[in-house]
Amino acid sequence: MARDEVTLTRSYHLSAGHRLASPALSEAENRAVYGPCFRPHGHNYLVEVTVAGGVDAVTGMAYDLKRLDAAVRQALVDVVDHRDLNADVPALEGVVTTGENLARTFWDWLARALPPGTLRRVAVVETANNVFEYCGEGELR
Amino acid sequence: MSEPGAGPVYATRRFTFSAAHRYWRREWSPEENRRAFGALTTVHGHNYTLEVTIRGAVDERTGMVMDLAELKRVVGEAVIQRFDHADLNDDALFSGVIPTTENLARTIWDLLGPKLGPDRLWRIRLWEDPTFHVEYYGP
Repeated sequence: MARDEVTLTRSYHLSAGHRLASPALSEAENRAVYGPCFRPHGHNYLVEVTVAGGVDAVTGMAYDLKRLDAAVRQALVDVVDHRDLNADVPALEGVVTTGENLARTFWDWLARALPPGTLRRVAVVETANNVFEYCGEGELR
Repeated sequence: MSEPGAGPVYATRRFTFSAAHRYWRREWSPEENRRAFGALTTVHGHNYTLEVTIRGAVDERTGMVMDLAELKRVVGEAVIQRFDHADLNDDALFSGVIPTTENLARTIWDLLGPKLGPDRLWRIRLWEDPTFHVEYYGP
């Protein structure tokens, strides 16, 4: 990491319905593995997006948050907010919508939408007690 | 659909417990203890918040790193049942060791490491109150 590199984290809210059910498992197995999460339910998700950049000497900013907001809105929030993740989001077809899979899928979407090499971390806060984070090839610190 | 990344995913679960402690070295005089630790020499307590982070590859069948209900059971048995509504100074783990937030975080790592696997346990983050927390990534 360059000496003048700063990381910024921005949070986005979205509400979505889902259930955990794997096509690789029988109904009884799904019930046993996922428990109450096998039933259709939903969350107020909080998605934290951490990006990195060098501080611009003129503006004092490492990242234009307006551009970040616009990119995250288009690539992520507008795609999943107030949707049934299991039925209404073609890009999630075949994905078991666990926090783990959402974190790395959202990473893929955002990595394509943001300036190359600037994405550092995606955190999916499913509830106040459960957080799932993906850092690509980086390490969580 | 694109194939999701193959890197590890970090899953964090949050727990709470309340415990009493005081900072006191038996081999020191009361004056020395008070000078070093001030108000912390009296028995007091905290509502601790514990965040346990595990790291691992996602099981492609289930989409999970670990069954979080299992994590809840392990942490509940090894840590919460042991420390919740307990006086930390009375616990054998803190014999001769002051139960600071730092030492408590390392102790919790030592309790969970063997049960979760040192490769899977990634971080212990322990909040003593909403204004102060420590993080430990293992030895």
